[in-house]
This record gives sequence, structure tokens and C-alpha cells, in this order.
Amino acid sequence: MAKIDLSNISHSYNPNDENPTYALNPFSMTWENGKRYAILGPSGCGKTTMLNIVSGLVRPSKGKILFDEKDVTNLITEERNIAQVFQFPVIYSTMTVYDNLAFPLKCRNFSKEKIDERVKSVSDTLRLSSFLNLPARKLTADQKQLISLGRGLVREDVAGVLMDEPLTVIDPDLKFRLRRNLKEINEQYKTTLVYVTHDQNEAMTFADNIIVMDQGEIVQVGLPKDLFERPKTTFVGYFIGSPAMNIFESEVSSEYSVKINNIEIKTNSNLSKLKDKNVKLGIRSEFINVVEKEGENTIKASLTRVEDFGNFKLLTANMENFIIKSKVDRELPISIGDINLYIPPEKCCVYENEKLI
Amino acid sequence: MEKLYTFLKYTFITLWTVFIVAPFLWAVSTSFKDFQSVNSKVTYIPWLDFEPTLEGWRVLVKSPARGGVDIVEPYFNSIFVTCTASLVSIVLGTLAAYALSRFTFKAGFVRNNDITFFFISQRIMPPIVLSIPFFIFLSTIGLLDSLLGLVVVYIVLLMPIAVWIMVDFFNRVPKELDETALIDGCNPYQAFYKVVLPNSIPGLIVAGMFCIIFGWIDFFFAFILTFTEVQLLPVKVVALNSSITPWWSLSASALISVAPLIIVAFVVERYLSKGNLSGALK
Repeated sequence: MAKIDLSNISHSYNPNDENPTYALNPFSMTWENGKRYAILGPSGCGKTTMLNIVSGLVRPSKGKILFDEKDVTNLITEERNIAQVFQFPVIYSTMTVYDNLAFPLKCRNFSKEKIDERVKSVSDTLRLSSFLNLPARKLTADQKQLISLGRGLVREDVAGVLMDEPLTVIDPDLKFRLRRNLKEINEQYKTTLVYVTHDQNEAMTFADNIIVMDQGEIVQVGLPKDLFERPKTTFVGYFIGSPAMNIFESEVSSEYSVKINNIEIKTNSNLSKLKDKNVKLGIRSEFINVVEKEGENTIKASLTRVEDFGNFKLLTANMENFIIKSKVDRELPISIGDINLYIPPEKCCVYENEKLI
Repeated sequence: MEKLYTFLKYTFITLWTVFIVAPFLWAVSTSFKDFQSVNSKVTYIPWLDFEPTLEGWRVLVKSPARGGVDIVEPYFNSIFVTCTASLVSIVLGTLAAYALSRFTFKAGFVRNNDITFFFISQRIMPPIVLSIPFFIFLSTIGLLDSLLGLVVVYIVLLMPIAVWIMVDFFNRVPKELDETALIDGCNPYQAFYKVVLPNSIPGLIVAGMFCIIFGWIDFFFAFILTFTEVQLLPVKVVALNSSITPWWSLSASALISVAPLIIVAFVVERYLSKGNLSGALK
């Protein structure tokens, strides 16, 4: 349990080359004690590198790491008291489940009573109690991952528990329950949890704060709601939400409005400095409504596809060269043909050079 | 089609077994013959074809003073040299292999793979190339014709085998296993012997087996580097030969020379099929 500060961290795997390539570009961030963080981003964006830097498996090329204001940059992993769970289960296959769970405590010379108590508590939470005396290698893949997870949670005094896509191998039902368990554990023990994933739903449901990364860069840190409604870059707009945000090439026409194919769309962003410039307009499909009549902020488009997802309908409409997606109530009667779509100004995000204005 | 395959498979196995086992049976039967039975007619079945005698075996344990050849001492010499050299090779080789598998070495143009190849290259070289340097080296340090000298030379010969097998083995042990151990609070040495090593027992056994086999059967260096003080089994067995070939005692000594390897093979086979690495990851 600690506050984790990452100060001006950057990392390159070839720092001595003439043109080093950076897996992580310089950034600073603070992970508050007892909070849950999710690091979200596509594969290869630097998420795992970031975790390995915090756990000490990788030493950053530049920058400092502080646990509760104490500089740990040069401490080796075993001295940092941190737990990390990898994507695929790692178990000590020559030991029993009990010994696997007890291993981190034994390494740190805890008393036998304490070890017993903690192993019992963790194995109850993860429903591993009935397997404690079995050799760990006899378990199934998801049970093995529970052991990995259990080893991460068995120490109460860890600075943080870092999880690198830990639920990939676990079936959806158990996944849901485990996420809830992790939340409970976090609330009960005030452990700082950091969770790496490329699944936005996992990130959204798990974390207080989401860190979105792309190509070694932190693009946005915020609450799930912020990421959804006000993505800071078009990448976040594309990456978060299903379907991705609608993004239209457009041109600033007046102080508060842009033009898409000569249709004027009002927004709440002040665009006075960008007169006549090309910008992008982003709007979530959830916020686009079907209306009967043409009017202000409506777009006439031809509906080409209706997909019924059970709880909503996804409309795909064409307007000249643009494709517009809209999520509507499943009860809404709708047929293929021309429709009018209303774009609420307060939900519009305008991007210049892919960055939110 | 499947029946034909099965038929061919079993035919092949049967022929192969005969091919392997026949010389042993021949050696067993010959070891109980005397001069007469060997030289008169081709006979196979004891008591029926010939009268079995223990002379071939007895001569091996008699001291030379009583007309024997005494292979007991060379036998124990061989056991001592092979086991000691194998043990040291495994310990050193495993440590070297772990380092080569987990850390990145750079010295000029030399990289991990080059170092590994350097170890193996010691085995690729024809032994004759090494014989003179070894001879000079041992005579300089006064270990020629001694057990310790042989142990030193055998370590040089066996360690590459251990390194080679263990590097490959450690490369297949996921790095996450060490990393997890570090995170769980081990220092790098503890991570090695508490976590990685127990997972590598099958590899250690294979490496150990190869070391024992290559150590046990070596004739060349045992022959060149020893004279009168110390003798190893392979040299002694060859020395049994004389103008009249004593087929009976040669057979008997061949059989007891092979016996330890057969025992090792059986034990290892049992163990290897029981314990395997499956399930350390995924």
C-alpha cells in the first residue's frame, strides 16, 4: 500500500544506438494509494513496459520511481515489495497449491500462523480452498491463473498489485466475479491495483481511473465517463466505445459551427481562432438521434443497414462519402431509406490535428 | 492400412530388438565357456551344448599374482572419476547455462550464442588434438597418471555437454517464472535454486546421464594420461586381450562394464516418464 510516483519516466530498449527508439516516451504520473487504475491500449503500446518498470524487472532509461516519496528507481525487484500477475499463469509446478500461495510470505520470513491465515483467506476468496494440497501443475489453466493472482494478493503490505491482462485465460463468468472480487479486495485492504488490458469493458468496469496509451505515449487519463464523452484525441475516440466514435472531416464555418458536406453543424466549442481551417468533428453513435423532420443540426442520410443487438439497434447510414453509425432504442420502428439524424451540439467534440479543442 | 502399419511397426521393433539383444546373449553365453567350448564347435545352450564354468568371471577378481587380472580396482576408479567429473560438470555447467540463458553477454563481437558454441566446439574437436596439450598440462602440474588429473580432464570434456543440454533446457523454462520468483521476494540466487532448478530436474537428469555415459566409455584419454599407478576400466578391459584371445573373460568384463549404464538407463527412463515440465506455464 503506497502512493506510486512515476516522474519523467522514459524507456528505450536500445538506448545506446544512434537513434534509440522509445517504447515509452517521457511522462509523469501518480498512482494514489488504494485506488484502482486500468492501463488501456492496443498491443505493443508500452503497457507491459510500464508495469515492468514499476516492478523493477526493467530499469527505466530515464526518470525516477517513488513509492511513498521514497526513491526506488535503483532497488531490485525483491526489495520493492510489489506484486505482479502476468498474462499467462505462472506457477511453481513442483509445489502444491498451498506452497505456491505461501511462497511470497515464506520468502519474507512470515510466521507460520500468519502464513496459514493469509493463505486461507486468499484461497477462500479465490475458491481454491479445496485444492490446497494438490500439486499445482494438476490444475486447469484458469485455476492456475487464480494461483498467480492469489500469490499477488497474499501479502497485505505490498506497495501495489500490478496485473498484466490477468484474466485472458479465464472464462467470462468467472472473469466477472473475479473483477468484483478484486474490487472488494481493493476496498477492504486499500491495495493500489493497476490493471493492464486491451479490453475497454474490462477497464471501464474495473477502474477508478483509466490511462489510455498509444505508441508509447499516454494519451488520456481520466474517469470512464470522460473517456467516453470527451475523448482527448481521435485515437481515444476510436479505441473506446463500441462502435467507435463517428469522426467527420469538416471545416470551421463560424465561431461555434463546422460544415460537413455544406451542412452546418453547431457545436459548443469556441472555434473563433480556427476560421476556415480543416478540423474533425467527433460524435458518439449513442448521442445521434433519429428525428422526423429536417431542422437545425440534422443530417439527411440514407440508411443502409440495421443491426439488432437485442438491447439496441445499430444503424449504419451513408451521407455522400461519410458513414454514420447511430445506436437507437430497439423498439424504434425504422426502415431502410432516407432518415434525418440529429446531432446534439453539447455532445460534439472538435479535433484539430487529432487533438480535442 | 492401419493393420499393415501395425504389422510393419512390430516387425521392425522385433528385428531391432534381436539386433540389439543378440550380442548380449552371445556375450552372456560366451562368458560361461572355457577355452575348449569356445574353440571346438559353435554352441549356444549351456549344459546341453557345453558345460558352463565361472572361470571367465573368476579371473576378473583374482589378483595378477594368482593368475588373474583384477578389474575391481579399475572398476571403482572408473566409478569415482566418472561420478566426480559428472557431478562437477553438472554443477558448473548448470550455472553457466543459466547465465547464458538469462543474461546478455557482450564482449567485442562475442555474444551469448558464441559462448555457447565455444563450449560445444570443445567436443567437436577431434580428441587427438587435445591429447598433447592435456598431457603437457597434467605433467606440468604433476597430475599425470593420477585420479585427480583424470577428473580434471573429464570435467573439461563433460562440462560442454552439460552446458549444451542445460542452455537449451533453461531457454524453454519461461522467463516469467524467474520474474515471478523475484517479485515474490527471492533474490536472484534463491530464484534459481528454489524455483528454476526444481523445474529443471528432467533436464539435469538428461545432462547427468550423458555425462555419465561419455565419462564411463572414454578410452582415449584414460589410455593416454595413465600408465601404471591408475587404470580405468576401458583400458583394463582392452588390456585383457593377449595372443590367445580370452573370449570368456572379455565377455564377462564387457558385461559388467555395460551393467552400470543399463541400470542408469532404466532408472532414468522411469523417472523421466514420471516427472516432466508440463504445466509450469499455461
